[in-house]
Amino acid sequence: MRSVDREDGPLKVTGAAVYAADHHPDRLAYGYLLTSTIARGSILGMDTGQAAKAPGVLALYTPFNPVKLYPYAKEENAELTPPLQNTDVRYYGQAIGLVVAETFEQARDAAALVITRYSAQQPRASFTDGLPSAAPPPSGTPVVDVLAPGVTSIDQALAAGDVTLTATYSTPVETHVAMEPHATTAFWTADQLTIYTATQGVRLVVDRLTETLGIEAAKIHVINPYVGGGFGNKWGMWAHTPLTAAAARALGRPVKTVLTREQVFSVVGHRPPSSQTVSLGAAPDGTLVAVKNDGVSGKSASNNFYEPVANLSLVLYGSANLHVSRKVVTLDVPVTTIMRAPQESNGSFALESALDELADKLGMDPLDLRRKNDTPIRPSDKLPWSSKHLQECYTMGAERFGWSRRSSKPGTVTDGDWLVGLGMATATYGASRGQASIKVRLRDDGRAIVSGTAADLGTGQSTVFAVLTADGLGIPVGRVVPQLGDSATPPAANAGGSGSTSTNGPAVQLATDAAKAAMVTLATEHDKSPFKGQEVTFSNGEIRGGGREMPFGDLLTLLDVPAVEATATSPRSPVRDHAFRSFGAHFCEVRVNRWTGEPRVSRWLCVVDAGTIVNPKTARSQIAGGIIMGIGQALLEDLRIEPETGRFGNATMADYLVPINADIPDIGVEFLDYPDTLLSDLGARGIGEFGIVGAAGAVANAIYNATGKRIRDLPITLDKLL
Amino acid sequence: MRAFDFAAPRGIAGALRLAGDGSAFLAGGTTLVDLMKLNVLAPEHVIDINRLPLRGIRLGPDGLHIGALERMDDIARHGAVAAQYPLISQALLLSASPQIRNMASIGGNLMQRTRCGYFRDMATSCNKRSPGSGCPAQTGDNRGHAVLGTSASCAATHASDVAVALVALDASVRLRGRDGERSVRLADFYLLPGDTPHVENRLRPGELITEVIVPRLQWARHSTYVKVRDRQSYEFALASAAVAVDLRGGKVRDARVAVGGVGTVPWRLPAVEAALRAGQSFERASALAAEGARPLAGNSFKVELVQRTVLRALMEVAGSR
Ligand SMILES: Cc1cc2nc3c(=O)[nH]c(=O)nc-3n(C[C@H](O)[C@H](O)[C@H](O)COP(=O)(O)OP(=O)(O)OC[C@H]3O[C@@H](n4cnc5c(N)ncnc54)[C@H](O)[C@@H]3O)c2cc1C
Ligand code: SF4
Repeated sequence: MRSVDREDGPLKVTGAAVYAADHHPDRLAYGYLLTSTIARGSILGMDTGQAAKAPGVLALYTPFNPVKLYPYAKEENAELTPPLQNTDVRYYGQAIGLVVAETFEQARDAAALVITRYSAQQPRASFTDGLPSAAPPPSGTPVVDVLAPGVTSIDQALAAGDVTLTATYSTPVETHVAMEPHATTAFWTADQLTIYTATQGVRLVVDRLTETLGIEAAKIHVINPYVGGGFGNKWGMWAHTPLTAAAARALGRPVKTVLTREQVFSVVGHRPPSSQTVSLGAAPDGTLVAVKNDGVSGKSASNNFYEPVANLSLVLYGSANLHVSRKVVTLDVPVTTIMRAPQESNGSFALESALDELADKLGMDPLDLRRKNDTPIRPSDKLPWSSKHLQECYTMGAERFGWSRRSSKPGTVTDGDWLVGLGMATATYGASRGQASIKVRLRDDGRAIVSGTAADLGTGQSTVFAVLTADGLGIPVGRVVPQLGDSATPPAANAGGSGSTSTNGPAVQLATDAAKAAMVTLATEHDKSPFKGQEVTFSNGEIRGGGREMPFGDLLTLLDVPAVEATATSPRSPVRDHAFRSFGAHFCEVRVNRWTGEPRVSRWLCVVDAGTIVNPKTARSQIAGGIIMGIGQALLEDLRIEPETGRFGNATMADYLVPINADIPDIGVEFLDYPDTLLSDLGARGIGEFGIVGAAGAVANAIYNATGKRIRDLPITLDKLL
Repeated sequence: MRAFDFAAPRGIAGALRLAGDGSAFLAGGTTLVDLMKLNVLAPEHVIDINRLPLRGIRLGPDGLHIGALERMDDIARHGAVAAQYPLISQALLLSASPQIRNMASIGGNLMQRTRCGYFRDMATSCNKRSPGSGCPAQTGDNRGHAVLGTSASCAATHASDVAVALVALDASVRLRGRDGERSVRLADFYLLPGDTPHVENRLRPGELITEVIVPRLQWARHSTYVKVRDRQSYEFALASAAVAVDLRGGKVRDARVAVGGVGTVPWRLPAVEAALRAGQSFERASALAAEGARPLAGNSFKVELVQRTVLRALMEVAGSR
């Protein structure tokens, strides 16, 4: 495994990378969203007189003076309806208007002058209050039972366990707070729209805008090569994007809208809260005989996305009897959407905590309990895992971390005023390979351009493209220019579901081979080619044959051909007789102040079996980033809904806490290197979400080991440990 | 943000001439500009005071003098401050971030506004921002709010860390207005919310803080500032304690104790100090730290937390006893 620097690193640290909000086309006007200040009801009227007269104001769109937007045809983890098309208010902080002015400040100040009158109703805003009346989900089966022959119900199987445990775990609303706020810059040239917008997939934006603007896809050009973090929140397209595009069309000039930090908490989606009641039954030796998880997820009344949180319990540990259920509590809150490892990060917190509690009851080391229930097949459907080396992760992790030093008695290890505990959990995430097309273009200057609609959210995806192309061509990585995030390039995978590298990687390899073949054809068929009619090969960036070799750039120059290119498509994985998933192990040490209760993570190691790791340097960042987000989930993140008003009570970056550097210890990441050749020749499964899954459970378990306190409700803040 | 006039006078007299109702002094701007952008503050005249001669950190026979424009970071790292008044230095270094500490002045710090989320959000009501409109924090999101000195009108904390250390040390502020100069003990400077939470202190319209004076206190060298919060840095206190202990012959002779993050003003704890002077154990003395606390639904943990924070601070300074 060879590590290379992020190909776009220098651009990012010098400010040369141009993000969606960084565009300043001539005659640019600025949009500013107006948002609702009730959670449920309707708008009776909006007094825009003062605002319309304010300096610099060009236009003021409201439900009473909207830009026309057509209904969305599909659901994309975002709003079901486009903004301003009626006077309904469905949540606090909903986009109810757009002010466009000559400057950002003018737009913002004019927005403050608009007076909105509502007819308000009491919102449904408390997830806890809604739990008793949780309802079946809008999609997916409400209950899944996998029972051994002769077993009639999961409760019967549980009753047969020698040791059983039932506990309820909860997680709060979390949100993504990516570094880059959502932003859209749009302009029209005749009937052609060019749009720079922060997104995890330019094709998603084309599709969505086609629907709502009512124009052909061919007329929409979405460009977004750099993204300052997404974590799921830039998958859906949010209100400001169609409004900005439509306003630019109506005004005949470019418009840019950047959400304020506060708006990033409500105009775009969040991770719903959850509750899971987990029951485990085990034999005295720790063998699980029944796993039951009744999961409930919050769901916004404005869309259908919810987290089937219990699902992970169907696949992670072996058990002859499994049961999960899925229910939702519908709330009048902003849109619920995907967030890093949707369902699995929450699901894992409950399952990994419950396993730890069971180990305690069994008097067993929690690592041994997990080893015991490791399984080569996917428990829900008995398909064999394609390539699973979890035992090796456990062993290597335990050894390097010093797991044997863990005291089996909670609350017994201290270091000065700090109680010290160790915890662990299994890390995991599903894998798949979809269809992707990629173009590789070999240029006469000796460079190769690799392009496709993929997105690099800061993940290192573009560097993966560069590495694979360079390796295929046998040239230095620095001679490859990746071009991502442009809807005019071949359709590749959007960034989501940890599927970018597993899907796009094989396509990059195929396209590189195809470009080499095109180069060989040119070399052997072009009239002026010194290789004409000969047997040649392409290696180390050179055409070789007849005792002669020439770099492809030199040959193109000689032949006066500016470039050759090829596009290739890698299909969806045809494999149906195996199941794909990455596995690993988290180990952590947490300290809790004996007087004031602050929990602080002091050590971390994660051992990762995720197939081929294309670039360990950026992969390490992905794993560490997931773990850091998991530490935030465990200890800090909690977007509090006010039950009375439906307003988020702490919707600012000062009040919604995410970890800062001082909260994070050195994070050790070790990769096993077992290519998953059943998934693809490349053998890479993907790593974007893996790190967060299990992280919160490991922290909770370490806190229990440190203090003897089992906290089942995230986040584990100091008040719960006093 | 509303349009405003801007002036940057060179002399104190000039600044005072411009100041009055509807004006605001601009020092580091880390509170003022922030709140102007949110429309929470909308002064008509902004008077940049950065050219005024309000600098200097000087340790004299009567104590420490800090010019109102001295930056938080410069004060914290000043040799005499760090050596003679560790609690001041630590309170400053545990505040905000390096970037903010480099900009923010001590005068501005003492005048900073509460971090109550309703105060900062123009879409909600708030007695402090808009007198008589109501206090949604009483039943709303109040995990961070005060438990001491609250009223039905307001339960917002005073957010400054260094003010807690200064109140413990009996510091005063020197004020200068068009009518002359005066000194006010910081403990008297801040006002409880009562029915008028919008009146936060005794500063008169147009009056300028020129200097902070900390009396000489030999044993302030044995002092600390403990700040407890959810994350390790870059957050306001859930509870904090500024403690100095006069330890002679293994005995506690005297002590200064004030707490932050829990009071509507920086909160001195005379009862805890008296208990310590009377030779009570740290445990018993610190148990008095939350006397009179009136918690709300989300912050009852602060009652216990503040006692433990005081205990921890006492032990840090003087070991356990
Ligand atoms: C993200 C963030 C985190 C923070 N964290 C902390 C923290 O952890 N602990 C903490 O204690 N503080 C914290 N602060 C607050 C910070 O310390 C204050 O904003 C800062 O000290 C204000 O000083 P300034 O010079 O910037 O004041 P300015 O913003 O310039 O002024 C603030 C107010 O004081 C008035 N004023 C300024 N100087 C004078 C004077 N000489 N006489 C009379 N009135 C004056 C102004 O008119 C204004 O009303 C934080 C601030 C931010 C933005
Ligand atoms: S606590 Fe004080 S500042 Fe906060 S809303 Fe109530 S009155 Fe306003």
